[in-house]
Amino acid sequence: MISIRNLSITYGRMTSRGRSGETRAVKNLSLSVEKGKLFALAGESGSGKSSVLMAIPGLLPEGTRVSGEILLDGRNLTALSEEELNALRWRRIALIPQGAMNSFTPVLTVGRHLEEVLDVHLGLSKRSARERTDELLGMAGLDASLASRYPHELSGGQKQRAAIALALACDPDWLLCDEPTTALDVITQKGIVDTLKSLVETKGVGMLLVSHDLPLAASVCSRLFIMKEGALVEEGTPREIVVHPKNPHSAALVNALLELEREE
Amino acid sequence: MLLDIRKLTIDFPPSRKRKAVRALEDVSLRLEAGESVSIVGESGSGKTTLIRCISGHVTPTSGSVSLFGVDIARAAGRRLVDLRRRCGVVSQDPYGSLPPTLTVLEAVMEPWILVRGREERQAGERTARALLEELGIGREEILSSRVRLSLSGGQRQRVAIARSLVLEPELLLCDEPTSMQDASTRGDILRILQRRQEAGMSMIFVTHDLFLARKAASRGLVLYRGEAVEEGFCRDFLASPQHPYTKALVAALPKLSSSGTYAGESDGR
Repeated sequence: MISIRNLSITYGRMTSRGRSGETRAVKNLSLSVEKGKLFALAGESGSGKSSVLMAIPGLLPEGTRVSGEILLDGRNLTALSEEELNALRWRRIALIPQGAMNSFTPVLTVGRHLEEVLDVHLGLSKRSARERTDELLGMAGLDASLASRYPHELSGGQKQRAAIALALACDPDWLLCDEPTTALDVITQKGIVDTLKSLVETKGVGMLLVSHDLPLAASVCSRLFIMKEGALVEEGTPREIVVHPKNPHSAALVNALLELEREE
Repeated sequence: MLLDIRKLTIDFPPSRKRKAVRALEDVSLRLEAGESVSIVGESGSGKTTLIRCISGHVTPTSGSVSLFGVDIARAAGRRLVDLRRRCGVVSQDPYGSLPPTLTVLEAVMEPWILVRGREERQAGERTARALLEELGIGREEILSSRVRLSLSGGQRQRVAIARSLVLEPELLLCDEPTSMQDASTRGDILRILQRRQEAGMSMIFVTHDLFLARKAASRGLVLYRGEAVEEGFCRDFLASPQHPYTKALVAALPKLSSSGTYAGESDGR
């Protein structure tokens, strides 16, 4: 279980004349997620979703002020040293960052990317790393033959799947996904979220998915959180939020989307 | 006839990096003055190429595009400029398509001044201010800020829309004009475009979102790998898609109204 309690995140703001002023990106946010389920955090751009996600494995930029607690099975992650966090990152909590599909090294094959992680983090031999690579690609819905390809030879959807394989490398308990389907076609999006959903169902990982696409988030998660201007404004099952949004902001958002779906 | 596209085929010649590409194949589309159509398709389907053919920026390999009764491939110089001035264009990239050094207000007034001259400046400013106000970015601090500084993608898109509407075009060509908007702002923009359509403007609305397509225009054309695979009313594609591609597209579309066990029942909201 990951429990976030009274989390506030304040960035030092960059201006054209250097650093001055501050932005409070997350305000007093509390939420809990459990293993074996898919949770989604939705909201407009700039609402603070990614900040919450990046705070969990302690990956916010230096100089960011974080207050409150992030408890992983009772252990407060915000109090851990970089070394202690490194032991948890990837092995227990894996992250698929925003734009992951564009973050591959162009001179390494997809297989090499995976082997490197398996070597550095788990110390696997070349041979077992290779076997594991095939397995990981399969879990992400890719053919093992793609291991020998370079990133530019893959489509956007395939690259995003390769990023999923990479995140799964150390068999994590938790998968944090930041906009995993943004900039992909609708049909490709559906395939990716189906894969993510099946990882939760078959492997029992806990997943927190961040998306600005409320219909997509609502279609896959069992529990939905909506943020607005750094605060959590709504929490419930998708059905509860769609039928009875409690907060005026999420009600407006839901109604704008339902209006678009409704035929006049 | 406002627009008459006949059996349009576009081949992009091979380059060092890629083989020859057929971007569009045998696409036909007719639009009377005041009519609108949504073009639906995924990336690489040829949507943007189609828009660029209509504005005369891409020359047909075969087939023809007639805009306001003039074959666009044969128009040149003054004549081509005049045709283009009757069209507004909203490019899909609000970062590359706006003049970065101008202020928001100047960027929207620029087309007006270029066409009507400096002496019409005051009327242009009034029109630009009213448009930006309508689009929800009329605050003085936004109007006077430079385009390249401190504007979000969504704000830039709204500046681009204002810029395309300032000369009251007869035909508006929009390429994913609301892709960076939040759901509520997107609704506002569609209503603004709808008001122009009701006043007689034609619109070609390019999107990958079928729901958005239906909202923007009753007619639609689905492009898949450069071919028109489905044509007619958007509401019909959504209710009973015919082509296998459109069927897959409709099936993959996430619907908020059917999230969880919500079965579409209304509770009066």
